[in-house]
Amino acid sequence: MAAMEPRPRIGVYICHCGTNIAATVDVAAVTEFAAALPGVVVARNYTYMCSEPGQALIKEDARTLGLNRVVVASCSPRMHEPTFRAASQEGGVNPYQFEMANIREQCSWVHHDRYEATEKAKALVYAAVMKAARLEPLEEREAPVTPGALIIGGGVAGMVAALDIADAGFPVHLVEKSDHLGGRVAELNRTFPDLEPVAEWLPALVDRVQRHPNITVYLNSRVTEITGFVGNFEATVEPVGLGLAPVKMKIGAIIIAAGYNVFDPRQKPEFGYGVYPQVVTTLELEGRLAAGDLRVDGKTPQDVVFIKCVGSRDKQLGRPYCSRVCCMISAKQAQLVRQALPDARVTVFYMDVRTFGKRGEEFYDEARRAGVRYRRGNVSEIYRRGDRVVVRVEDTLLGRTLEHEADLVVLAVGMEPRPEVADIAALLKLPRSADGFFLEAHPKLRPVDTAVDGVFLAGCCQSPKDIPDTVAQAKAAAASALIPLMRGVVPMEAATAIVDPELCAGCGMCVEICPFGAPALDPFWGVSRVNAVLCKGCGACAVTCPSKAIRLQHFTPDQILAQVEALVGW
Amino acid sequence: MTQKPAALVIGAGIAGIQAALDIADAGFPVYLVEREPSVGGRMAQLDKTFPTLDCSSCILTPKMVSVGQHPNIELLTYSEVVAVEGEAGGFRVTIKKKPRYVEEEICRGCGLCAEACRMHGRVVDVFNQGLGKRAAIYVPFPQAVPLVYTVDPTACLYLTRGVCGKTFKCQDACPTGAINFEQKERFTEVDVAAVIVATGFDLIDPRTKPEFGYGVYPNVITGLEFERLSSASGPTSGKIVLNGKEPRDAVFIHCVGSRDPHTGAPYCSRICCMYTAKHAHLVRDKLPNARITVFYIDMRAFGKGYEEFYDRVKEERVIYRRGEPSEVYRRGDRLVVRAEDSLLGRTVEVEADLVVLATAVVPRADTPAVAKLLGLSLSPDGFFLEAHPKYRPVETARPGVFLAGCCQGPKDIPDTVAQAKAAAASALVVLHQAIAK
Repeated sequence: MAAMEPRPRIGVYICHCGTNIAATVDVAAVTEFAAALPGVVVARNYTYMCSEPGQALIKEDARTLGLNRVVVASCSPRMHEPTFRAASQEGGVNPYQFEMANIREQCSWVHHDRYEATEKAKALVYAAVMKAARLEPLEEREAPVTPGALIIGGGVAGMVAALDIADAGFPVHLVEKSDHLGGRVAELNRTFPDLEPVAEWLPALVDRVQRHPNITVYLNSRVTEITGFVGNFEATVEPVGLGLAPVKMKIGAIIIAAGYNVFDPRQKPEFGYGVYPQVVTTLELEGRLAAGDLRVDGKTPQDVVFIKCVGSRDKQLGRPYCSRVCCMISAKQAQLVRQALPDARVTVFYMDVRTFGKRGEEFYDEARRAGVRYRRGNVSEIYRRGDRVVVRVEDTLLGRTLEHEADLVVLAVGMEPRPEVADIAALLKLPRSADGFFLEAHPKLRPVDTAVDGVFLAGCCQSPKDIPDTVAQAKAAAASALIPLMRGVVPMEAATAIVDPELCAGCGMCVEICPFGAPALDPFWGVSRVNAVLCKGCGACAVTCPSKAIRLQHFTPDQILAQVEALVGW
Repeated sequence: MTQKPAALVIGAGIAGIQAALDIADAGFPVYLVEREPSVGGRMAQLDKTFPTLDCSSCILTPKMVSVGQHPNIELLTYSEVVAVEGEAGGFRVTIKKKPRYVEEEICRGCGLCAEACRMHGRVVDVFNQGLGKRAAIYVPFPQAVPLVYTVDPTACLYLTRGVCGKTFKCQDACPTGAINFEQKERFTEVDVAAVIVATGFDLIDPRTKPEFGYGVYPNVITGLEFERLSSASGPTSGKIVLNGKEPRDAVFIHCVGSRDPHTGAPYCSRICCMYTAKHAHLVRDKLPNARITVFYIDMRAFGKGYEEFYDRVKEERVIYRRGEPSEVYRRGDRLVVRAEDSLLGRTVEVEADLVVLATAVVPRADTPAVAKLLGLSLSPDGFFLEAHPKYRPVETARPGVFLAGCCQGPKDIPDTVAQAKAAAASALVVLHQAIAK
């Protein structure tokens, strides 16, 4: 096999990464070392291989020196493998005959001794060159995309995402668990910072979704099964408790907009929620403000207290995170209470006031000007005294404990992931972050993508956020979904598994182990075959196969053993 | 078949880059216009990013390279939009290409011209916040896209005085003959269906708070200057060194200009609490024995993983003191930060040899002019006004024109990226409808 192919002509490129690598690794020494390795035609080093001139070096050498393999020693392949594969391809080298040696994260960043780091970098480069010499060319393929999207959750996030995708001309299946659209926002009365009634815009949004010719709404329904992959998912939607048959649908992209739950304050029994009628949550107060009735036991409150961070920023409860909206909700409700009860004293107990959004700080100033009193303090407990309650608090500015009598205490309850998040995560094999919300692909630059291609996140199922940030994120998820839908094709994994039918015993262990449903036993021949469209190249089948009949392309035994021998023999 | 309708993106910071990539990936042509010589914007100036401490250029550079290479993106750097006429689905845009005095197609970015320049090492390096010096012909930073040199018209001897010795040293040094002082500004017109405004932000001049002594004491620097100081590719190669000395006591001051009705920035700048926590961590990492104090009013660690990062930094022997400093003054060869500690209820004085000011995010000075050019409104804080504060945060009152990033209001990188993608979604709808017509 190897005899038929042209001899390897390898180009090796060592990156300085500014000083990230060059300060610890002697890149000139590594270059000199690489130049002498078998098959290496050229070895160079450059300040930033990922920059345009860095990539141009590869392309120019590939063309003028006739390279057929490229090795770059720089950062993690997670960072720049796509960059250098593309550069190799533009130089005429098959992108799968490119290999990367990670001499930054796995070398310069974790070692201090210059000599030892340089020796290790040489070993990593040697191993990469040995593997590169044995790499085979692979073809990148494309799969068609089913035009259409599934959106799980009919709150503001789900509806906004649905409208953008539908307006761009694609069918949308919008699945909502409850009997109405609108989600949590439908439970709100007015929104900060303009005190605008939700009724002014939410019904119009719901109406536009319901009337949109491209949107099909499934109320009282759940998604019970999802198979397939980006561009070609199949989902089953089951109406709950109506005796209706499940609906199956084919879609190209999925957006999860499953929303959030509010913290149950009974987990903080010291606040007496559920015991004293005077103690309510912000969500309950929202309803009372809408109804225009703030009385407790028939009496108009004279003294109203808001307590922030109930179930947020609380390590003991396992909720170390900030819920992001409670400061503004409290400022809003405190102002509305002042308007409704001009004679009442309104006090907000806080740890830090986080009014960071557009017009947020100004709104906080307005609340204080309207007579809302802000006191920095940690509330330790609430207890009854006569027909009132007493809020016991450590005022951290005065440095002493206070007792504050109140007729109405509002707990600004934090957000938490819905329990259904676990089911959805299991359906799609989606990872979650430590706080239990869905995990985005990258916290800075890929805030709506997930580890699963074609599945995107919108709204508070990713982490707490207010309405404008939710809308922005929902539209962002729509943009991510529109990319495969509008292109009509998605690139497919080239490094897939192949079964040798001569060796396969038909035991079916590969069928069991595969997370993507790619291998299946051929009923006639009794041997396994891998559907290359479904295969993600994870290699689970190859290591499981007892007959060694499965070979994972790009990670074949001879390639990996050559790499290991280079490292061990070093 | 007719050509697909195109989009215009103004500004190639992370917001403009992300919006352009999404639209281009969906198959539509994009004109990405950037006023500076390179794409990258503010994010290119940052060292590491909170809360994961990813190196900013490491995550940004791949995207910069992508916009430079994308077959659907036409990159117009060192260019400005000077006119926008028409309406959603059919805008005609006039773009001014400023003279670089270097031919973009010929320059290979080797840098020999800068080494030869008579002004080498004598021109204030704006990208490095004035902490270093460069030549009059320059690239703002090594990873610049496109990697093409530009003659600084405010520093070049020939362009400012009409004479630069007998021959041009840069031209003599250039191996490809790319330098051309005959270049004039050029105008091009393009037709687009949608426009995304991603013009970014400025930072307030800390001299508006003279009590902190910025510009008077060299040890008082801004947060952005600290980023360049801490960056491995910055003027000190990442060493925290000021005036040749490593600081022993670092003091960080939040809300310099923000939340302050007197400076015209009554709003919260949204990023300073977290980047200061990151700075404190970086000082601890590089100077294990330094004493680090942060003065804050409210600690706003609201994003995903932010509170957890703040908890971590507090455990790294960083002293958080609640209080607004009233002044910074000199005592001997050191500085003293005087503050009212609102938890102790008394005035405290903390000695420092490094004071970092977390300066307010403010609209760019030319925001009103850009608003006039595009027919947009401004909110009272001076940023661009969105169509509705709750449910239309990226649209404007002018159909077909959308907002991305900090030109609409301060925001951190994930929120900027989300908003940029949101603007891209809105633009994609307009582009789709322009085809359907």
